[in-house]
Amino acid sequence: MATTTTTSQTTLDIYESGDAALRVVARSGDAETNWATVHSLAGWLAAAGVEGIHGAVPTYDSVLVEFDPYLTSARQVRAFVLLGMRQLDYVGTAPREPRRFEVPVVYGGDYGPDLGRVAEHQGLDVEDVIARHTAKTYVIRCLGAPAGSPMMDGPDFPVPVPRLKDPRLSVPAGAVSVAGRQAVIAPAVAPGGWCVIGQTPLTVLDATREPLVPYVPGDELRFYRIPADDFGNFAGQFLEARP
Amino acid sequence: MTGSLVILQPGHSVVTDLGRTKGPAFGLPVNGALDQYSARAANILAGNEDNDPLFELTALDFRMRATTDLLIAVTGAPLDLMVGGRECPQWEPVSVRAGEVVAVRGIRTGLRAYIAVHGSFTVPSLLGSCAPDTVVGFGLKLVEGFRLETRKTTAPITQPHFGLPLFRLGITKPVFTTNPVIDVTDGPDVTEFGDTAELLFTTQYTVSPRSNHIGLRLGGALPERQLTSEVLSRGVPVGAIEVPSRDELLVLHRGRGVTAGYPVLAVVTSRSLDLLAQARPGHTVTFRKTTVAEATAMHRTACLELDRLRNTINTVFGLLGIGAGQRWYELSPASGA
Repeated sequence: MATTTTTSQTTLDIYESGDAALRVVARSGDAETNWATVHSLAGWLAAAGVEGIHGAVPTYDSVLVEFDPYLTSARQVRAFVLLGMRQLDYVGTAPREPRRFEVPVVYGGDYGPDLGRVAEHQGLDVEDVIARHTAKTYVIRCLGAPAGSPMMDGPDFPVPVPRLKDPRLSVPAGAVSVAGRQAVIAPAVAPGGWCVIGQTPLTVLDATREPLVPYVPGDELRFYRIPADDFGNFAGQFLEARP
Repeated sequence: MTGSLVILQPGHSVVTDLGRTKGPAFGLPVNGALDQYSARAANILAGNEDNDPLFELTALDFRMRATTDLLIAVTGAPLDLMVGGRECPQWEPVSVRAGEVVAVRGIRTGLRAYIAVHGSFTVPSLLGSCAPDTVVGFGLKLVEGFRLETRKTTAPITQPHFGLPLFRLGITKPVFTTNPVIDVTDGPDVTEFGDTAELLFTTQYTVSPRSNHIGLRLGGALPERQLTSEVLSRGVPVGAIEVPSRDELLVLHRGRGVTAGYPVLAVVTSRSLDLLAQARPGHTVTFRKTTVAEATAMHRTACLELDRLRNTINTVFGLLGIGAGQRWYELSPASGA
């Protein structure tokens, strides 16, 4: 099952996840350290470009490493992950300068059907929910489902936001949502159980260029409010980093 | 010389390959042929690379017309294959003359079939794969009248007088059944389910009609998570078995979202994912526990089977002058000759 390894920086638990993946969990006791560890490990694995290792999916405290069990094996990949950890311990990770994104949002109404409900659950008025949502500079923690969604730590709300009991079959692209202690923008139309509080008119996902989404984990993002009348003025514009 | 074909009746068919293995790192599912063994076998039998674009047919009948001579191979679930009105074998290379119609009817026992065409196709790719991604809106769904160019064409190779099938390669076909036994290994979160985890191995599950390429939903007695703490979003592997609701078990397949916040009870082996790709609504599924070492061995055995097939095809096609393989008289003389 899980094996635990401690290097000078952190402790890793490595779990078998079928014959073609391993889950590596950082257990330092500090969320920021865990996040930095799994993302630098994923970066190291991607840069190494080893045949048979497809790639790594880092999130908050864990990274899923996927591989081809014909070309390599769980045992070999595990050894390789530990090699990466030791090397990162030794050379460290060069910090990357985050890029910054600013995202216009129309809050409430048809654009954010769950805004009222979130406000009620938080015991705040709607304006206060919007104020808290726009007050924070968010760090994009990881790319998630669907379609490379920017997963962020949520706004400073009093309590976690419960998910919808009946997830929607279709949430529009650009939907700005919160759930638990997380915040996200939907790059593409998809089913969803998060509370939609607004929508950005910007196009997040561009299927004609690679990578499809303009941000990477570690980049920073802020929301600002626009009136519903301005929604159409952004038509055809893509989400791009601030120069 | 290039070849071409026209789709007459698409049924439910797409152009795909073995998947977007670079996708998950960018938040995109791997997707690609759900029955990987059948897809690879089809391409090998057609003299292609394993990962070349090919057709994936789901459940419905399909017809296309060859506008040049073609060499094709059809694999996957049992079906009736007619070429120019002749009954032709599945899991063998088949020559198609210009003008002939290739008809696939009655896909049964399983759900998906694969048609590889010698020379394959040049189609748009995203992160190194042509596999459709329904969320991003990428991919080639076949429609009536759609014309595809193949990169090569092949003169017909048939027994001239009776039109008998020329190829009898005798590949070991996978067994298709309506009640497959699916091998799984313990998931990383199995302990969170306590004793109820054992229910997975003592219950017969029924495939729900709400199943698709993203995941299969299975009805039956459900293991239950014993904890209530929230789970941080994590990368989940293809094959992950989760219990997201009180109604059904969810087995994630190749279209799965790469991250989720549900604990992973078990993970279906690579080999058994091919079997699940063929499970139809109403089929019954039983799970059997195995180890990662055994699952890896099973997968490698299957890969070796395909390697043997590739060797046979290279030899046969080489002698016949099909594809990349050289004819005997084109081989360079040994040094010194």
